[in-house]
Amino acid sequence: MTRPELFEMFQRMATEIAEKDFSDVTEDSNIQELGLDSLSTLELVGAMERELEVQIPDEQLVGIQTVAQLLELVEKRMSA
Amino acid sequence: MSAPYTLVEALDRLPDGDERGFRFYGLDREERFYPYASMREEAARRAAFLHAAGLAPGDRVALLLPENHEFVLTFLAASVGGLVPVPMYPQATFKSVDAYLDILAHIVEAADARALVAMEANRDVVDKLATRPEMQGRRVLFAPEAFEGPAPAWSRPRVAPSDLCFLQFTSGSTSRPKGVEVTHANLVANATAFLGPRGLARTPDDVGVSWLPLFHDMGLIGFVLGTLIVDLPVVLMPTAHFARMPRRWLELVTKHRGTITYAPNFAYQLVEKRVRDADLASLDLSSLRVAGCGAEPIRARSLLDFAERFAPCGFDQRALLPSYGMAESCLAITFHPRGTPMIVDRVDRTTMQDGIAAPSSAAAGDPDVLEIVSCGVAFPEHDVRVVDDRGRELPERRVGEIVTRGPSVTAGYFRNEEATRAAIRDGWLHTGDLGYHAGGNLYVCGRIKDLIIIKGANHHPQDLEWAIGELEGVRRGNVCAFSVVRDGTEELVILAEAARADAPRLRREIAKKIYADFGLQVADVVISPVGTLPKTSSGKHQRHKTRLLYERGELEKHAVEIDG
Repeated sequence: MTRPELFEMFQRMATEIAEKDFSDVTEDSNIQELGLDSLSTLELVGAMERELEVQIPDEQLVGIQTVAQLLELVEKRMSA
Repeated sequence: MSAPYTLVEALDRLPDGDERGFRFYGLDREERFYPYASMREEAARRAAFLHAAGLAPGDRVALLLPENHEFVLTFLAASVGGLVPVPMYPQATFKSVDAYLDILAHIVEAADARALVAMEANRDVVDKLATRPEMQGRRVLFAPEAFEGPAPAWSRPRVAPSDLCFLQFTSGSTSRPKGVEVTHANLVANATAFLGPRGLARTPDDVGVSWLPLFHDMGLIGFVLGTLIVDLPVVLMPTAHFARMPRRWLELVTKHRGTITYAPNFAYQLVEKRVRDADLASLDLSSLRVAGCGAEPIRARSLLDFAERFAPCGFDQRALLPSYGMAESCLAITFHPRGTPMIVDRVDRTTMQDGIAAPSSAAAGDPDVLEIVSCGVAFPEHDVRVVDDRGRELPERRVGEIVTRGPSVTAGYFRNEEATRAAIRDGWLHTGDLGYHAGGNLYVCGRIKDLIIIKGANHHPQDLEWAIGELEGVRRGNVCAFSVVRDGTEELVILAEAARADAPRLRREIAKKIYADFGLQVADVVISPVGTLPKTSSGKHQRHKTRLLYERGELEKHAVEIDG
């Protein structure tokens, strides 16, 4: 899966979970500014885990701030 | 009333054999079954190691254990060893690490914990925590590594019912965390009340299913300590798994034929929304006789929607069991009678503003009607009253503060006399919650304290306000945080005074800060001209008045520019 595809998946899943428009979001966006609370963000991670068949342990999510950082973590876990 | 006993004695009385015990799903998704006997053995083994590490009866030991089985076994080890465990929130996903470390450091210090038990998985956090001054002189152990090998020799201490069993830190003000003292006698009194004949009436066939976090009373007492005391086997799933896929909760009930489960209101609402039509066929909720709800205000609509959605899966609406309680009373204060339909009181919104819960005859959905769910009645040997501000008991349908007393109620907060005196007056625990009695049932309808409760977690507005006060362009003391109820859901509103030029930047930064420090989404950030927020003569702002002005739309604010 290419990075733009991964980003598109992120946008689509965030839209489903938060029922908001995420078309303005970029990779540089801060996850904290997206208008998701921490529980919804975990739900989004769960949705990506299932779609991509990876597991992302909670402790690796500590300190993640931007969409790009999250996607990099997902990519790292996919190649692990 | 039977003579008080301890959690340790209850543990010793649990039946041997491989049939009954606790089933844990790990963060690694592995399933681990511990028969009671092996829990008991492992607890005693670990207790020996804790003593060998220099801990003595009465010492506090902080637990930062993300794996449920590690948490439960180490908690029980502390109990068997006469120590006082202090459960702490084990992860800080997406939140700011610094704000999280602040909370941990404050709790460790307030509890004066001799040691901290953590896991390799959170070693990063522990290493950072270890550099804080509050951690000086406290030992750090890692589970399970610290408990490997043959157990050292030790002598088992005698534990009395009046001894502290654990400290329950409420998600209180982060700068002044309050540790509720829970004795063995308090715990046993509450567990035997809410699981006894006038509560859930535990049967030998019951199976509890829970994803609730174990650092919080509903998960810890409801599904670990209380269930152990009455021999009720449970299946525990990590909260992280529920958060990642809410419907896994119901899949677990289906798989293990769960009879009792509990969750805050938001979880019923969430799972009802998230489950797909195609999932319904694989769910069987006919085994559930109790689907309890507590820890945050209960919205009748959320529970009824859940019941309707899952009726095809065999869910019986009479399983819905609204409850009221708080950590200061161990866990439970009142329960709706099990197996009976939920009672919803429809009252007039206008008279409620004057503290009178007058029944309304208006049609359902009318904005003048408030729907309030009955939380039932107090347990035997416990009293619940609704009182006015002078402590006088109010008649039915008059709104006042809910107070309670009985063997479940705490003696106070650990080494915090001021907070204890404020909460417990003349033997009555003042809950800070507003309610009324009608037909003998308790209805909870608001709060005296300015507490904000979102998704079952309590937040103190002053903590949010202080955090925002650190932002450039905001003057400390000129911030107001409060919640409003929209569509039955509590939402966070932040108001700050600032110059017009700073407004767009601050709107972004405030939302970001609140997420980073508290994991909360702000529904509305309002930036008002300096001098707008109402103050008292002492200069202290008035949250109630501000909220009122906000709700009426009478608050002056800088316009939100449309800049895409």
